[in-house]
Amino acid sequence: MTVDRVVNGFARGVFVFLYLPIVAVIVYSFNAAGTNTRFEGLTLQWYVELFQDAALMQTLQTSAIVAVITATVATIIGIMFALGIARYRGRGRASLLALIALPLIVPEIVLGVALLSVFSTTRIPLGIGTLVLGHLIVSLPLATLVLMSSAVMLDPSLPEAATDLGCTPWQTFTRVYFPLLRPAVVAAWLLSFTTSFSNIVMSTFLSGVGSTTLPLKIYSSLKTGLTPTINALGALLILLTLVIVLLVGVTQMRRILVESRG
Amino acid sequence: MTSTTRAIQLGRKERPKRGSLLLLVPGIASVVLLGILPLFIVARNSFAVADNYGGITDGLTFDNYAKLLDPVYSKTLFYSLGLGVLNTVVCLVVGYITSYYIVSRPPNRQGFLLLLVIIPFWTDFLVRTFAWITILGSGGPIAGVLGVFGVAGFSLIPSNVAVVLGLLYSFLPTAIFPIYASMRSIDPSLKEAATDLGCGWWGVHRRVILPLTGPGILGAALLTFIPTMGVFVIPVLLGGGKDPLVGNLIVTLYTEFRNQPMGAAASMVLLLLMLISMVLVGLGLKRSSAKKGA
Repeated sequence: MTVDRVVNGFARGVFVFLYLPIVAVIVYSFNAAGTNTRFEGLTLQWYVELFQDAALMQTLQTSAIVAVITATVATIIGIMFALGIARYRGRGRASLLALIALPLIVPEIVLGVALLSVFSTTRIPLGIGTLVLGHLIVSLPLATLVLMSSAVMLDPSLPEAATDLGCTPWQTFTRVYFPLLRPAVVAAWLLSFTTSFSNIVMSTFLSGVGSTTLPLKIYSSLKTGLTPTINALGALLILLTLVIVLLVGVTQMRRILVESRG
Repeated sequence: MTSTTRAIQLGRKERPKRGSLLLLVPGIASVVLLGILPLFIVARNSFAVADNYGGITDGLTFDNYAKLLDPVYSKTLFYSLGLGVLNTVVCLVVGYITSYYIVSRPPNRQGFLLLLVIIPFWTDFLVRTFAWITILGSGGPIAGVLGVFGVAGFSLIPSNVAVVLGLLYSFLPTAIFPIYASMRSIDPSLKEAATDLGCGWWGVHRRVILPLTGPGILGAALLTFIPTMGVFVIPVLLGGGKDPLVGNLIVTLYTEFRNQPMGAAASMVLLLLMLISMVLVGLGLKRSSAKKGA
């Protein structure tokens, strides 16, 4: 039983390890000492400077636009695929599921250079559009898996009842499917949004002049050193993650991350 | 359910088949056009000749792969393989212990502990990385504590220790989820039986829990090993860029050297390693399910 105690102690240490960086970013974002050298009291100065940084705000806007478009498109395509596959029992079902999950298996950096090759061959200029396409391919599998796990649990007799009562397919969707799938739709949108918003790998290859995203901007400024302003930004991004995780809900998160892998 | 109602339901299920197939088109088209076809172009480019303007010519050559054997590049390749193995092993061991801890808690507590793993998992990758600059850097808490004891000038940024910690931090949640998923489905009475039959802690794990967690461990390994080699942010920010990974090599070849064919060859190596590990994991899964059946 002593082994048990040592192992449990180690596991508790793992949870400390998981939160040490998060706590450090938040604490140091309020640190009055500018150079990170010592902790010298509290300040909100870095948050103020953050919002006064026009270049940074520009990249924030780019990231937000790309993430909203990506999340919306990924969710719509995901809903269609999830509803289609939930009713499809024909041949090739397993292959179709493998196909839609494929971008999760291929190393992201390879997907990034692959799309870059396409755009450079076809001379499509890099910008918001290419960023959206790149982010779409990495968010789509995720959105689809989230929606599929809900769509397969729908009682098939409900849409049938709607059809029998004279609903058109669109009415069946808006009045039956959509309300039942709403939590999954919200989850799929939010998770696609974060996936796009924090993406650095695809963006490294697919952003053009004037379409620098927030993570690219953070990365390039980190190469010259960590500033308190970046710490403040990090703290806000941690807050965003917390909000999104809580909005998606623990039950649903658990289904996505654990049950789909069991 | 009577057989008639079932027949009616089945009949109804068959009807909307064509409509449902149309719903699949946008998803399939996206993956084919934005994922699969571009990969074929990379494959083609890896045999092409670079021109002097960052483009490619139509030639067909194996030179790009041959050049990867040059010590300059092969060093990066072997270093990445080594670091990939190291990070995978550490993630699996730590992930296994953590998963076991979570599984042994009461169900409502498990949900909370899982939430504690989910939050860092969804936290911005860059934030998770630069947080280590704060912790290990010259102005961080460790340096502060050491300073009190008169040890001045402590900093682990940049260092390989920081890279290893950063990689572990990035991939640990990814490894925990599949391992926990496998462990959760193990019948607790198996552990009790093994204990009653005289197995100690080590025996219970080696003979019962570890083999039954096999699929989860293999899944975790797959999600950790190759993605580690493709990382490029951590070696730059935490390691000072001295020891690049394959990810750094690909980024440099594409964006700085503008040598697409060589970048494509390096990407194909990563893809090939991914396929090999998938086959190995597939074989491993088959073996573990065959054992279970016996």
